[in-house]
Amino acid sequence: MSKTKIIIDYSKCGENGKVDPRDCHKCLEVCDPCVFLMHEALGYKEEDPYNPQHWRITPVWPSVCTRCFYCVKACPEKAIKISW
Amino acid sequence: MCDWCMKHGAGKKWYMNAKNYSDQLAKDLNLEDYLTEQWMNFETVFIRKIMGLSSIGLGYKLKMPIIGRVIRRVVEGMIHKEETKKRNPMRADGHFGQVIPLEDGKIILSELAAEPIIENYCMCRWMQRGKKEAVCINFGILSEIIEKLPRFIPKNRVVRIDREEAMQRLEEHNKKGYIASVWFQPVPYICAICSCESPECGGLRLRNNFDLNVVYKAEYIIQLDQDKCEGCKACVSMCQFSAIRYIPSIDRVIIDYDKCFGCGICRHACKNDALRLIPREEYPGFDGKY
Ligand code: SF4
Ligand code: SF4
Ligand code: SF4
Ligand code: SF4
Ligand code: SF4
Repeated sequence: MSKTKIIIDYSKCGENGKVDPRDCHKCLEVCDPCVFLMHEALGYKEEDPYNPQHWRITPVWPSVCTRCFYCVKACPEKAIKISW
Repeated sequence: MCDWCMKHGAGKKWYMNAKNYSDQLAKDLNLEDYLTEQWMNFETVFIRKIMGLSSIGLGYKLKMPIIGRVIRRVVEGMIHKEETKKRNPMRADGHFGQVIPLEDGKIILSELAAEPIIENYCMCRWMQRGKKEAVCINFGILSEIIEKLPRFIPKNRVVRIDREEAMQRLEEHNKKGYIASVWFQPVPYICAICSCESPECGGLRLRNNFDLNVVYKAEYIIQLDQDKCEGCKACVSMCQFSAIRYIPSIDRVIIDYDKCFGCGICRHACKNDALRLIPREEYPGFDGKY
């Protein structure tokens, strides 16, 4: 099977987008194999490093994606694109 | 007993050796800074580049000729790492775990775990499923470190628990279907009992999807009493590893022993006492297969 490419539009969701994934995380909930990872965005100078405030989603395990497209349909910002 | 027991068990299982839980060991290994750094950055461990490579798309990377083999060696080497000087908190060096049955977990919590004991939010469920569920039980200096990190601390209830409560909680999680596991963090210091599910758990993910041995199966394996099984299928839905299957023609379940992690969760579902754990070494085909 060809490689699955999953791309998140960080201008819509993430440390610079209008949605903070910690409030939404719909993609994490609907993805049966847990392809997505929610994490602190790297390279930010956090005001309180014990309590980071800049978060984003990375599709970290694309090889286990089943191409069900549930995440694409669930994302309120239409921020997820999948291709192969 | 596995290779970890040989090295760190003092004649017992590695997680039954009281020395591995001691504050003194944490001090000797200078772990306060190490664990603070690791836990402040926990969710970024998989995405950080180490020697130019991160774990993003690991499944594809492992399939690449030559490079795949190198990555496998590097990842397993990291998790098994023992040299204290060169350990890197950003990549979870020496964070190795093993599945344990409820009974062993209770022994750890009743007499071995260092205080304070806390129950905090599981970071794997948070970063992979967006769920905050307080099921991780941590000990000793790690408890004091996690208490400083608001995202892992439930707001509306007491986080520090005593030994009795800890045992009770572990039992509740176990009966719900969560797999108990004990963790070096880092080798040979032990400071956590988790209650995991798959595929949320990062450790089980690496093992189940990518065949990276960062978490061992339990020292035990399930044994089915075929005469006692009435084929009610209740146990099938409990097993997170798809090791149990119902076979209509014989109206009972069969076990895929290769898949069994020896967590003992299926036992909670059986009203006929048909499932019990036996030491792995008593099952000739599976002795030493962790
Ligand atoms: S397509 Fe399905 S399996 Fe793939 S990332 Fe989206 S929800 Fe997960
Ligand atoms: S569902 Fe869309 S908006 Fe919500 S966290 Fe995921 S990528 Fe962001
Ligand atoms: S190892 Fe298990 S319980 Fe611990 S944080 Fe990960 S999933 Fe949660
Ligand atoms: S069959 Fe093995 S892996 Fe499955 S629940 Fe029972 S003990 Fe755990
Ligand atoms: S729960 Fe017990 S009786 Fe029911 S199918 Fe499983 S082993 Fe058989």
